[in-house]
Amino acid sequence: MATRVAFENSNEIGVFAALTNGYCLTGINRSENFYSVFESELSEHIPVIHATIAGCRFVGRTTVGNRRGLLVPNTATDVELAHLRNSLPDSVVVQRVEERLSALGNIIACNDHVALVHPDVDRETEDVISDVLGVEVFRQIVGGQALVGSYCKFSNTGGMVHPRTTVEDIEELSSLLQVPLVAGTVNRGSDVLGGGLIVNDWSAFVGLDTTSTEISVIENIFRLSGAGSSSGGGQQGQGQQSNIVTNMRSSLIDQLS
Amino acid sequence: MPVYNFKTMAPVPSASDLVDIVLTRTQRRTPTVIHPGYKITRIRNFYMRKIKFTQQTISERLTTMLADFPRLSDIHPFYSDLCNTLYDRDHYKLALGQINTAKQLVDAVARDMIRMVKYGDSLYRCKCLKRAALGRMCTILKRQKASLSYLEEVRKHMSRLPALDPNTRTLLMCGLPNVGKSSFMNKITRANVDVQPYAFTTKSLFVGHTDYRYLRWQVIDTPGILDHPLEQRNTIEMQAITALAHLTCSVLYFMDISEQCGYTIEQQCNLFRSIQPLFANKQLVVVINKIDIQPWETLDASRRAMIEELIKESGSNTTMLTMSNVSEEGVSQVKNHACDKLLAARVDSRVSGNKANSVMNRLQVVYPTARDGVVREAYIPESVLKEQELRRRQGGGGGGDAASKKKKSRIGYAPTVDDEVDGDEEELDDIAHESDDEMLGSRKKKTARELMWENGGPGVWAPDYREQYDLDDPEWRFDAIPQILDGKNIADFVDPDIDEKLRLLEEEEDRLEAEYAAANMERMDDDDASLDEMEKAQVAEIRDRVTIARAYKERSGGNNRPALPRAIRGRVKDCHDDSAKLKASAIEKRLAKVGVDATQMLERGRKREREDPREKRRQSRAARGSDNGDAEMETEPTEEVSGGEDGRRGLSKGAAKRQRKERDESVKREQSLARSHSRPRTPSEMGLRDSTMAKVAKLAEKKGQKKWFGGSGEGDHTKAVHLVKWCNTGKKRNGTHYQR
Repeated sequence: MATRVAFENSNEIGVFAALTNGYCLTGINRSENFYSVFESELSEHIPVIHATIAGCRFVGRTTVGNRRGLLVPNTATDVELAHLRNSLPDSVVVQRVEERLSALGNIIACNDHVALVHPDVDRETEDVISDVLGVEVFRQIVGGQALVGSYCKFSNTGGMVHPRTTVEDIEELSSLLQVPLVAGTVNRGSDVLGGGLIVNDWSAFVGLDTTSTEISVIENIFRLSGAGSSSGGGQQGQGQQSNIVTNMRSSLIDQLS
Repeated sequence: MPVYNFKTMAPVPSASDLVDIVLTRTQRRTPTVIHPGYKITRIRNFYMRKIKFTQQTISERLTTMLADFPRLSDIHPFYSDLCNTLYDRDHYKLALGQINTAKQLVDAVARDMIRMVKYGDSLYRCKCLKRAALGRMCTILKRQKASLSYLEEVRKHMSRLPALDPNTRTLLMCGLPNVGKSSFMNKITRANVDVQPYAFTTKSLFVGHTDYRYLRWQVIDTPGILDHPLEQRNTIEMQAITALAHLTCSVLYFMDISEQCGYTIEQQCNLFRSIQPLFANKQLVVVINKIDIQPWETLDASRRAMIEELIKESGSNTTMLTMSNVSEEGVSQVKNHACDKLLAARVDSRVSGNKANSVMNRLQVVYPTARDGVVREAYIPESVLKEQELRRRQGGGGGGDAASKKKKSRIGYAPTVDDEVDGDEEELDDIAHESDDEMLGSRKKKTARELMWENGGPGVWAPDYREQYDLDDPEWRFDAIPQILDGKNIADFVDPDIDEKLRLLEEEEDRLEAEYAAANMERMDDDDASLDEMEKAQVAEIRDRVTIARAYKERSGGNNRPALPRAIRGRVKDCHDDSAKLKASAIEKRLAKVGVDATQMLERGRKREREDPREKRRQSRAARGSDNGDAEMETEPTEEVSGGEDGRRGLSKGAAKRQRKERDESVKREQSLARSHSRPRTPSEMGLRDSTMAKVAKLAEKKGQKKWFGGSGEGDHTKAVHLVKWCNTGKKRNGTHYQR
């Protein structure tokens, strides 16, 4: 089930929140409206935490993580690091990364098994990513964009890439990531998927402008809609994802071209 | 694709208003004071400006008017035909053409009159010409009274036309009056069209929107059409015909089989046949309406055959559906069928063209081929699975609950009339569930948002973020932990193994303390034994001196400098003064007493003393001279010191002479360069022959500025006495300057 959210009238919610299978971070805000959307959906299952990085609230773009760990840039202060370590369960390793490109959320995209990184990332950072997050790391670009974290989004069940990615590129990415992929948009045609879409294996949040077509594509590819998306396993999941091909094809063609 | 927005057209003023607007603007935006005593060029300019300004204002207003109104040949044929039907194309074009002519006439009048003002020889004549010019322009405007009022009416009407996009997905209803088109529209959209039991309730096109298959569909309700030749159709019917002719859409042809509308089935079939040419290239659905009164099955066979025949002859693309607006039977089937048909056609046309290829990547899901044996599973916590299971079971048992949950996320979805009814039911459902939850016990925690509103709202209340800390002992959560302690950053010392390390350290400390205590006990005995009285006194004296030295230091303000600056250490100057404290020998002696070897320090001081900065400069200059290839320099003696008064101490006579000579030569060289090379000069010397001329020019410039300085000039505000001509000229026979 995908929920529409806005952060202070901005649709780029992925900037202000980060979500994994183990925890959720949201930026600090004068009002608790944004936080409570995540709280009411997730707080029974995983910790939902207020956080800042270097005193700034765009935590979604500066951090990256999965259920095993969380990477923060070197601009994060010691107090913020202590706050994160105290709030997150002990199973999550919080690690500061000395990387020149400090918006880690923009340069890294990952799930619990695989990560794509910007081609210019340091070798040390690559090692830290694979050690802390326990993932295979691939240097890749998506749809001609080096900022993989901004232009693609994937969970363990599926993924969405920049709308200009060619079919061959999607096939290559899919075999790297080992999840089904589709090209798509959020927020009424925005290609900045990392900004408009927050997703983990069982829930998703999208910007307030997202159309119902976009939402249904997202729900299908991430296997979110309806019950039993998880326990049913591969066959049922594939059926749901192929909805995009079968049921939605005509609507998509009519709307996009 | 242009989007037509006729709502932004500026209102068209009536002719008299326009005249007022223009004249007021001229009066307010141009100068108003003129005297006959002014220079004639000034007077002419004054009036020319008035005429020109008036003409510009008029042509500006008329141009915006011409630009605002759409050109019928440029807009979509549907709108162009609709405008023709509603406003009459000829009339419309004529009105705009007249406005355009008026504009040109005004321009011509202004041109002529300005030309004449140029020859005006007095204020009065110029003024008369201006009056004539403005009068003629206003007359031209007044003659446009009819066109302007017509255009204003057209503008008002156009701004109320429905915002109809001719290129989007469209369902279009047509049929005889009173067959149920508007009722159907009200059923599937929120347009709220007026429905009355008489013919031609709908007098113009109405647009509504509905949602189907994630898409927004435009639904157009047209006025009823009667079955007569095209020439006899009135404006109301023609609107429907225009829409039918120009929009690519799915057409719903409504037939009333109960014949309550006042037309027989045969008449309805005849209308269908007469407008059939308009259905070409469209998706046609024949809707058999009002089956609550006259079911399709019980319709007598001859009439049924008539309709079936009609559908058969209209082609294979036509389908027939039955429905009733009253019982709502078949309403959504009709809508879905019409939408599906149109969508299929649109998709076909796009796929057959090249348009769909560019979005192919968004239409297909790419499944991975396994690259290794690793299983990469989703990770979903147990609690989530349990909740999903619970929801599924509720959905299975409760029926509508799953659907209601699903609909919740569609915030941006504009519900139709049907949905609204559903929505109400859902709300009731939700309330019921909430009360159920409360019965079970309020296990749901209050969200931060609810707490925020309870405690004063945003900006007043913020949660304590420490409440969520996941620590071994919950009591630790609110411990105050400093960021910096004793000048050290606490975070630098945080270590996961801190407890173990601390334990080891403490053990070691205990051990060392015990050892130290034991050793100390022994040494205490030693110390007392080793020193005799004499030594003890010496130690005491040393300590005293240290204490005193420290006290002095503190009293002197504790400046942390060396006692003796480097610059004066062992200066030669002090050699002549026997009592000087800083004399080298004195320093050496004193330091030797303390036990410091001062030879090196004094050596350093002497070195500094000997260094003469002028000497250095001279050396470097000599080096430069030798670089220039002046071989003489080296052989000449340089050490002859000249007198001090000329300020060039340290330069030998020979050297001075040489320098002078060199300088002169460099000037000559430069001048010869200026003659032989085309070299840009500094802007201030441009066009001057040589340095002499430049000097003269500079002097003249200075002089000129000096003279100008402080005087009054053109920029100054002056008020001269207004001389009245008759007072000041002529023979003064009959009176004085002041009275006659």
